[in-house]
Amino acid sequence: MHGVGVLGLQAIAFYLLSAVMLGSALLVISARNPVHSVLFLITSFFTAAGLFVLLGAEFLAMLLIVVYVGAVAVLFLFVVMMLDVDFGSLRTGFARYLPIGGVVAIVLLIEMAIVAGAVAKRGASAGATIAAPTDVTNAEAIGRVLYTDYIYFFQAAGIALLIAMIGAIVLTLRHRPGVKRQNIAAQVARTPAKGMAIVKVKTGEGISE
Amino acid sequence: MIVGLSEYLTVAAVLFTIGVFGIFVNRRNIIVILMSIELILLAVNINLVAFSVYLHQVTGQIFAMFVLTVAAAEAAVGLAILVTFFRNRGDIAVDDASMMKG
Amino acid sequence: MTSTSVLSLVMPELILAVGALALLVVGAFGGDKATRTVSIGSGLVLIAAAVASGMGPLGVAFNGGFVADQASAFSKVAIYLMSAVAILLGEPWLRRVGNARFEYPVLVLLAALGMGVMASAGDLISLYLGIELMSLATYVLAAFQRDDARSSEAGLKYFVLGALSSGLLLYGASLIYGFAGSTKFADIAAHVAGGAGQGLVFGIVFLICGLAFKVSAAPFHMWTPDVYEGAPTPVVAFLAAAPKLAAMVLFARAVSQGFPGATEQWSQVVQAIAVISMGVGALAGLVQKNLKRLLAYSSIGNIGYALLGIASGTEQGVQAMLVFMVLYMIDVTGLFACILAVNRQGRSMDSLADFAGLARERPGLALAVTGLCFSVMGIPPFSGFWAKYYVFKAAISAGLWQPAVFGLVASVVAAFYYLRIVKTIWLDPSPGVTDAPPLDAKGVAVAAALFSFPLVLPALALLDPLAKAAAAAFGLG
Repeated sequence: MHGVGVLGLQAIAFYLLSAVMLGSALLVISARNPVHSVLFLITSFFTAAGLFVLLGAEFLAMLLIVVYVGAVAVLFLFVVMMLDVDFGSLRTGFARYLPIGGVVAIVLLIEMAIVAGAVAKRGASAGATIAAPTDVTNAEAIGRVLYTDYIYFFQAAGIALLIAMIGAIVLTLRHRPGVKRQNIAAQVARTPAKGMAIVKVKTGEGISE
Repeated sequence: MIVGLSEYLTVAAVLFTIGVFGIFVNRRNIIVILMSIELILLAVNINLVAFSVYLHQVTGQIFAMFVLTVAAAEAAVGLAILVTFFRNRGDIAVDDASMMKG
Repeated sequence: MTSTSVLSLVMPELILAVGALALLVVGAFGGDKATRTVSIGSGLVLIAAAVASGMGPLGVAFNGGFVADQASAFSKVAIYLMSAVAILLGEPWLRRVGNARFEYPVLVLLAALGMGVMASAGDLISLYLGIELMSLATYVLAAFQRDDARSSEAGLKYFVLGALSSGLLLYGASLIYGFAGSTKFADIAAHVAGGAGQGLVFGIVFLICGLAFKVSAAPFHMWTPDVYEGAPTPVVAFLAAAPKLAAMVLFARAVSQGFPGATEQWSQVVQAIAVISMGVGALAGLVQKNLKRLLAYSSIGNIGYALLGIASGTEQGVQAMLVFMVLYMIDVTGLFACILAVNRQGRSMDSLADFAGLARERPGLALAVTGLCFSVMGIPPFSGFWAKYYVFKAAISAGLWQPAVFGLVASVVAAFYYLRIVKTIWLDPSPGVTDAPPLDAKGVAVAAALFSFPLVLPALALLDPLAKAAAAAFGLG
């Protein structure tokens, strides 16, 4: 029985995922509605995660979904919907820039083809096979070096996230005057003595402050 | 039919090209430009992971992780700047009616 | 290597990171009232980091990811001190325009941290992370005047082109990693020694394009004029100085320590970029009416001269680049301080016409502008002359005759626009009364002018051996 072997299945998965990824990437840049662009972006990230799984990089695949689909793409969606922009008018340049963009794309593609050809001819510096699965899982292999050999980069990446946080707050947070805020400390510190007043009201006179 | 390194590199190269192409054709729509940049970074990540797997080392995946982290930071800063720009101009078109002549 | 010796190697970065975090907490609790305190604290932290990098031990840490050598020490001292000047100029200015916020000095600190990582990068990952730390902070700084449409437009353009350049750079880095099998410069160099294949050459070209974006070399300079014009002036004074030096040192380190075996290939690319930058800087500057825009083109041209030093591919060339960048940084900071010092009725002035007749009203300031212009033009005995002298000498002794001659022609052409500034200041009628210049801007302007002449002469005697030792660290011939 000459069924489709594991390698054949892998190839089918690779070509299917790649085709979906590239197709949705094209739709990202050509969709009329930016909300659709974001959704296609999510599709391409999702399928790219599939490619990573195919390569045996499961940890990064999950990270791609958690960070990109879960955070970045949602951020994009949020901004697209928050900004009330007439997106139709933004597309007027599309046809105008198509020729120059096409030329750049073709030049780049030829260059890349040469690079890929170079790989096919010589192979990268090591063997052209995927590492055989060992008893060390992908996440474990990363975890073993991330906090030891790469601690410096790890800390630097943390600072980069801090800068992004400071930057986003500096640029967009506004304390508008007249907005009522909850002051929890004041609320907690309130005692019954301060919080209420018992007034004896005489009949027919009402309360006057 | 074995899927080799050069197949992955080709896919990454095409994705990279789509990203650059997207920046060129959507010059006025900053949001799509930001998404095109994300596509470029995704292409870089595919390259890094594919190389790392075929080189039998984990360095490339670590590099891809940092690219992912910093790209998220970059997206946050970029969108924050875009929001301030929108608040000032009521629009996100950069190309026309620029206050500064290029 | 023990962890204490590793910590003493990264002491400057440690001081900056811990200082920034502590000052952030002070600012978060003190609110905008604490801005002055945070600014002074940031200045002190930067000076402490400069001292630590000047006096600290040398060595390699984190598997080659961090390199502390003469070159990184030299450039870090300059970078941290220039960043401190940026806080000195920026904080009072932001106070005057009613936007004094404690995040400004903290962001400058974090940008300086990124530049330190860049200057010490011995690995493609630290190269990328350093660039991004610096860039993320400077994108925000460029858009810091968030209620000013020009500032946010500048921030947006800077961000989009900066992110694109990071993408190009990363693509190059990924190819280099794949074909050399390592991200460490030392390993890459060992691999390249046997000749760089096609994939590696592509990687180098992408990497150089990405770096050229960061130093605003032509043809990757599109962002520079818009960002210089739109961003707040003290921020531009910062962007025009320290980040450029950091990126140039990184450039020199990446090509000389990563690809010593492929000098032929990268030298040609760098030469081409240098020549185009010098040409664009000289010609496009001629038609500018806005002073900040004009200085943007001037900076593109000057980066061309500095790149000529790197293109030489020799130790002498790198030394010339370092001397050039330090002298240029001081000149350009002085010129931006002059722009900050001229205000009319509380409005800041940045068009050339606004400076007309400055000589009659503010002769001291006018003299400072004139001296700085002569210096950038390259007239002896001002500092700019010595800077160009170093670069051209290195280029010619490396056999780069044609680019050097082209550079000389470009600097003669560029002299026209500097002379136009001088003529406007001394001969044209004044459009009105200027306000009393703020002390900080005036002080920096006068100090920079005094440095450009005569202080440059004793300073050069000190700078020359230091830059030579720094350049020797790159191990070029």
